[in-house]
Amino acid sequence: MTFELELRGITKRYPGVLANDAVDLAVRPAEIHAIVGENGAGKTTLMSLLYGLFPPDEGEIFIRGEGVEFSSALDAIAAGLGMVHQSFKLFPTLSVADNVVFRQEPRRRGLIDRAASAARVRDLADRYGLAVDPEAAVEDLPVGVLQRVEILKALYRDAQVLILDEPTAVLTPQERDQLFEVIRRLRDAGRTILFITHKLGEVMAISDRVTVLRNGRAVADLVTAETDPAEITLHMTGRAVDLDRRAPEHQPDEAVLEVENLTVLGGHGRAVVKEASFQVRSGEIVGIAGVAGNGQSELIEALCGLREADTGTVTLSGRDITTADVAGRRTAGLAYIPEDRYGVGTTRQASVSENLLMGHHREETVQRRGWFDRNAVARLTRRLVEVFDIKVGSVSGPVSTLSGGNLQKVVVAREMEHGTPLLIAEQPTRGLDIGAIEFVHSQLIRYRDQGGAVLMVSAELSEILALSTRILVMFEGSIVATLDPRNVDEPEIGLYMTGAHLEAAVA
Amino acid sequence: MLERILSEVRDMSRRAVMSPVTFSLLFAFALAAAIVAVTGGDPLAAGEEMVTGAVTGSGLRNTLGRAIPIVGMALAVSVAFRSGIINLGGEGQMVIGGLAGTIVAIYVPGPGTLIVPLAMMTGAVVGALWAMLPAYGQTWLRLPILITSLLLNYVARAITGYLVRFPLSDVSVTLATTRQVPETARMPKMPIFGGVSLSLVLVIVLVALLWMVYTRAVAGYESQMTGFNMRSARYGGIDVEQRTVQVMVVAGAIGGLIGTHLIIGEALRFIDGELVLAGFAWTGLLVSLLAVNRPIPIFITGLFFSGLQIGGLAMQRNAGVSWRLSQVLQAVVIVAVACRLAIRRGERPSGEVSEAESAAVGEV
Repeated sequence: MTFELELRGITKRYPGVLANDAVDLAVRPAEIHAIVGENGAGKTTLMSLLYGLFPPDEGEIFIRGEGVEFSSALDAIAAGLGMVHQSFKLFPTLSVADNVVFRQEPRRRGLIDRAASAARVRDLADRYGLAVDPEAAVEDLPVGVLQRVEILKALYRDAQVLILDEPTAVLTPQERDQLFEVIRRLRDAGRTILFITHKLGEVMAISDRVTVLRNGRAVADLVTAETDPAEITLHMTGRAVDLDRRAPEHQPDEAVLEVENLTVLGGHGRAVVKEASFQVRSGEIVGIAGVAGNGQSELIEALCGLREADTGTVTLSGRDITTADVAGRRTAGLAYIPEDRYGVGTTRQASVSENLLMGHHREETVQRRGWFDRNAVARLTRRLVEVFDIKVGSVSGPVSTLSGGNLQKVVVAREMEHGTPLLIAEQPTRGLDIGAIEFVHSQLIRYRDQGGAVLMVSAELSEILALSTRILVMFEGSIVATLDPRNVDEPEIGLYMTGAHLEAAVA
Repeated sequence: MLERILSEVRDMSRRAVMSPVTFSLLFAFALAAAIVAVTGGDPLAAGEEMVTGAVTGSGLRNTLGRAIPIVGMALAVSVAFRSGIINLGGEGQMVIGGLAGTIVAIYVPGPGTLIVPLAMMTGAVVGALWAMLPAYGQTWLRLPILITSLLLNYVARAITGYLVRFPLSDVSVTLATTRQVPETARMPKMPIFGGVSLSLVLVIVLVALLWMVYTRAVAGYESQMTGFNMRSARYGGIDVEQRTVQVMVVAGAIGGLIGTHLIIGEALRFIDGELVLAGFAWTGLLVSLLAVNRPIPIFITGLFFSGLQIGGLAMQRNAGVSWRLSQVLQAVVIVAVACRLAIRRGERPSGEVSEAESAAVGEV
C-alpha cells in the first residue's frame, strides 16, 4: 500500500547529541497517528525536519510514495503539510479571517476581497465544526479558539496532513474534548493527522496508531486498539512507572500562610486578583487549578514579593509580610519554584553551581562579611547535585546544557534546601518527562510529610487531583471554589475553571 | 598527571587560536596591511614602526601612561555593564570628578603625601555623587540610565566649562583653564621606563580588586547574576535597585579617580574641553566590550589599544602612514569580534529547549 507520509532512516545530529537516530515513520491515509515520547526523545526535531525547518543529515521523506526534499516550510506547505505549533503564530490585531487568508488573500480588482475571505473562512469552519467567528479580532479570543484559527490556516492552504504539536497543553478539559471532536471529523473527511504528545490518556482517546520515540529512535509502532498505556509507557521510558497514585492521607496542622482579601491590580488598573482569601496549613498541599491567565501567576508573584498587592494582607508564620520585599519574605520562611524555569528560575549564562547558590548566597554558612567560603559553596552544590541526582558534567559548566528535567531539578533542589515552612510550586512539572514528573511529585510529597506547607499551581488537573489536600479553583481573578479532591473529578473542576457554574446559577 | 597538564595546555592553546579575538586581530591587521599597500605604502615597514614605536624607548613609557586612563575607564564601564547597566556617563563622571580633585590639589595646602591621596579621594567621591544622579533617576523615576547618563556628560562639560572660565580661571593665560597644579600636589612618577605615573599601580590594584570581587565576593556574585538575568536575580532576593545605585557609585568613583589622575598626573591644568578630547571614556568602553567586561582581559586589551595609539603616532612620524590607521585597526577589531560573536550565537541548535521555553513563557 502507499503511505500518505513516510520517513525512512531520518538522522539528525547536533554537537554531542543524536537528536534523531535512523527514525522510520509510516503514516497511512486518513488516520490519526500519535507520536509520543519523553521530552528530549526527538519529537520536535523530527517534526521540524518533516516540516522543512532544517534538513536531516541522513534519510528520506516520501509523500504519497514520492520522494521530497524541503528547503523551507513553504515547500512543506506546498506539498500539503500543515503544522499547528505550540506557540501560535497569529497577528493579534487582525481578524480571524485576515489571519487565515494571509498571503493567499482572495482578490477583487487587485484589492483584498474581505467579504469573500470571511465567507470562505466561515464555510471552512462550518464544514469541520470549528466554531469561530471570522470577523472577531484575534487578540480578544481565548486560547482554545486561537488553536482553531491555526487549524483553519492549515486547512485553508489545503493541508492533507496536519501536524499538531502538543495541542492540548494550553486547553481546558472541555476545550480538549472539542478539539478531539474536530480531529475526528477531519479524519473522517479524509485528512491525516499527526498528533504529538507526551500524555498517554490522549493517545488512547484519539489515535488510531502510535509511534513511540525514545532517545531519538522510533522504538515502537503500535495499533492503539491493540495496546494499553502500560505497554506504551514501557516503550517510552524503558521501564514501568506508576503515576496514578493518590497522595496518602495526612493530617494538616496549623496555618502557615494566611491570605486575606488580597487584590492585585494589573495593567490599566484592572484587578487581576480579586479579594482572594485562603490558608495553607503545614502538612498539606493546596492546589490551585485554573485556565492559564486567570490570575494565578499574579497571585503567586504578589505572595512572593515580585508584584505589589493593592489591598489585603498576607501573613506567613504569624508575621505580616504584605509589604516585605523578596529577600524579606524569603527569610520569613518562603521558597518558590517559579513557573518559568528558563527566564526566572535559572540564569542561563551562569554555571550550575552559581544557579544552585542563588538565594542561599547570603547565608552565614557560605559567606563571611561578604566574601564567599568557596569550600562551603562547593560542598553545598555538590550535596544538592548528589541528593537530587542532577545529571551534570561539571557544576562549573553552564546550566544551559542541562535538559529540562535536570534544570527543574536544579530549581527544586535549591528551593527545597531552604527548608522553609512554605513552599510555593508553580507548574512544577510542566514540560517534564514522566521520570522527572515522578521525581518532582515525590519531592513535594516528602516536603509535605516533613510538615511543610505547599501551595501548588498547575495546569495539569491530574497532578492537582493526585497531590492536593484541597483544591482552589481560580476564574477571572477570583477563587470560585474550594474542593475536596476525593469528591470531584476532572470535568467538574473544568466547569469551575471556565466559569460555567456561574452561568448555571444564573439560569 | 603530566598528561592532564599537557591536554589542558593543548586545550587552552586551541581555544586561544579559535577565539574570536585572535581571529579578529589577524583579520584587522591583514586589512590594515592591505590599506597601506593599496595606498602605495610599505605595510611591513609601517608595522615595524608601529611595534617599535609602541614598545621601545619612550614609546613604552607612553604606552603604559596612556593605558592608565584607557584601562581605568574600561574598568568603570565594565562594572556597570556586568550588572546590565548601560552607563554611558563615564566621560561626565571623569570630567566632574577630575575637576573636583584638581581643585583640592590646587587650593588645599599641605604636603604631597597628604594632598595627592586627598585629591584622588575627592575626585572619586564627586564622580560617584555625579553617577548617583542617573542611578536614582532610574530607581526612583524610571528614567533609563542609558539616556540620562549620556546627557549628563554635556551637563558636566558645561558646569566644568563655566567654572574654569570664571571662578577658577587662571587670568595669567588666555586659555579657559585653571591654575597649574603645584609641584607638591602632583601624582609622583615611578623611576621605571623613564618615569611612569604612580597611578599605574592604582589601576593594577583596581584590576586585582575587581577580579577578587567578581570571583569570590557576594557583591560581585549579585552584580553578575543581575546582569545575566534581572528577573531571576530579583526572584532570588537580590535588591536590584540598591545594587544599581552601588554599581553606579563604583563606576563613578573610578571615573573620578581617572579624571583626577589625568590632571594631577598628566596635564597639570584643567583646560576646558581638553579632558574629553582623547576620548578615553569611549576607548575604554570598546576595550570593555572586547574583553567581555572581565578585569584581567581588560588590562591586557587596554595595554594593546594604548600601544596601537602610541605606535600609530610613531608610524606617522617615521613611516609617513597616517596615525588614523590605528583607529581603523581598533574599529575593525571591534567589528570583527562583534560579527564572530553574532555568528556563534546563531549556531545554537534549536532543539527541544525552544519547545519547552515557549511553553514556559506561555506564548500566544
